[in-house]
Amino acid sequence: MQTMINLVLQSTWQTVVMVFLSTIFSLILGFPIGVLLHVTGSEEHGGIIPHPVFCSIISRIVNILRSFPFLILMIVLMPLSRLIIGTSIGTMATVIPLSIAAAPFVARVIETSLKEVDPGVVQAAKAMGSSNWQIIRKVLIPEALPSLVSGVTLTIINLIGYSAMAGAIGGGGLGDLAIRYGYQRFRPSYMVAAVIIIIVMVELIQFVGDRISARLLAKR
Amino acid sequence: MEIKLRNLKRNYGSLHAVDGVSLDIPSNTVYGIIGRSGAGKSTLVRLVSMLEKPDTGEVYYDDKRVDNLSKEELMQERRKIGMIFQNFNLFSSRNAEDNIAYPMEICRMDKDHIKRRTEELLALVGLEGRGKAPISTLSGGQKQRVAIARALAVNPSILFCDEATSALDPQTTRAILALIKEIQKKMNLTVVMITHQMEVVRDACDRVAVLDSGHVVEEGLVSDIFSSPKSSVTKDFLSSLTNVQESVVRWSKEGGHYTLRFRGTKTDEPIISTVSKATGAIFNIRAAGVQNLENEELGIMITDIGPDAETAARAVALLRENGVTVEEDA
Ligand SMILES: Nc1ncnc2c1ncn2[C@@H]1O[C@H](COP(=O)(O)OP(=O)(O)OP(=O)(O)O)[C@@H](O)[C@H]1O
Ligand SMILES: [Mg+2]
Repeated sequence: MQTMINLVLQSTWQTVVMVFLSTIFSLILGFPIGVLLHVTGSEEHGGIIPHPVFCSIISRIVNILRSFPFLILMIVLMPLSRLIIGTSIGTMATVIPLSIAAAPFVARVIETSLKEVDPGVVQAAKAMGSSNWQIIRKVLIPEALPSLVSGVTLTIINLIGYSAMAGAIGGGGLGDLAIRYGYQRFRPSYMVAAVIIIIVMVELIQFVGDRISARLLAKR
Repeated sequence: MEIKLRNLKRNYGSLHAVDGVSLDIPSNTVYGIIGRSGAGKSTLVRLVSMLEKPDTGEVYYDDKRVDNLSKEELMQERRKIGMIFQNFNLFSSRNAEDNIAYPMEICRMDKDHIKRRTEELLALVGLEGRGKAPISTLSGGQKQRVAIARALAVNPSILFCDEATSALDPQTTRAILALIKEIQKKMNLTVVMITHQMEVVRDACDRVAVLDSGHVVEEGLVSDIFSSPKSSVTKDFLSSLTNVQESVVRWSKEGGHYTLRFRGTKTDEPIISTVSKATGAIFNIRAAGVQNLENEELGIMITDIGPDAETAARAVALLRENGVTVEEDA
């Protein structure tokens, strides 16, 4: 019993670290791409620096990366982990493919949120002599903030799911626990514990995300 | 600031949205641009306000050409104009005072100055003490007041209003127009007022240009255009005005072959009886009323003239001689 609790706690912690770090890295990678996708898009959809060629090139890349099945992407990216972290197994090594796999998703989520901003408001900001950078930083992002928060919530929840899959190829965390103990060693209690904790995590993140988003909207 | 437009053209594909517009908008006036939906008003205002570049033609502010500026110059020049819109286009992420502060923030003005100026502007538009209000809690009229304050924050010399009152009810429209006129005088602004409502032109503008399918079909003093409209578009706009205006009393639904328009002083003269006596014409008046323009009164009379066509023709000729505009229904 004691070992089970220890193992579950350890795996939970690994999952938390994995999800936390990969959320941050995927945002660092995906956020600027999402902004670029939006601002270089067509004028009718609120693009402020329309550039059809550039936009469609990134858009293509994002789509290709998104259509890769996650497990395959992980395997393809393993050499990269070995290069950066020195190993291709374990929690830290998993963060890299997780972040890269989630980045195109983040980019689309950010792009979609920014597209919701009223183009009239952007035109007003432009008419007042805002630079493009000022429009992004002082208009687009603040105006889209509640929706951006929902997008980040969605990203975290997706990453919890991805991180569980990453467990299957030796990434550690709750997914790993469920497969190694629950499935391969026929200990359903491990499986159940892992699943319950994942459910609780997802619920918790969704709850907090919704609260923050609602709080931001209420101030308007 | 005086604005000069020279042969402006802007096409969207094969559509000539603005098709050779030349106008002189004098400084220190409220200048109306009226036209039906799709006439090209918004496109024209985007060209004049440097939001879009014309395909051909030139835009001058005073004598400075502004349609071919570099990106950097354009940003600087845009900071000297103000603009308000039909949908207000306020930032929902900012409260009233932070909306007003925005144009000053982007010019990197000093914080204390921004604070002081924001208070001043809130008072100017009649919203003292509402600075902290979230935008969604304001009424349409209040939103437009915030938008006006925001547009005036950097002391512009030109204010563009694109359908600024179209989303407001009649009372609020009048209040906002009064505010714009008051501010125009106080700050010596050149106001360019885009609208599809003749009421707005009547209540607020000094001069007006009538736009149709990208062309200016008529231009002049509001009082001239009201008393002697030339184009059919203008006449349409004016008749819609007479129909909705309660100042014109109609006591017969039928008839009304002739529309007579009297200007200013003539409203007081007994022209009808003079003409009637001189020609023997009989007037059967169907509707009549007075409209109050910015500086002048305009009389309107919808009437039939008898007893026969020949007498009527003589009466019309005499009326015209006396400076009355007469329109005959087809
Ligand atoms: N960005 C654009 N792309 C393509 N066509 C456009 C664009 N902007 C305007 N048009 C077209 O140009 C014409 C004039 O449009 P504009 O918006 O200037 O009219 P408007 O007089 O402002 O009408 P409204 O009273 O409805 O606002 C319309 O036929 C419109 O469909
Ligand atoms: Mg328009």
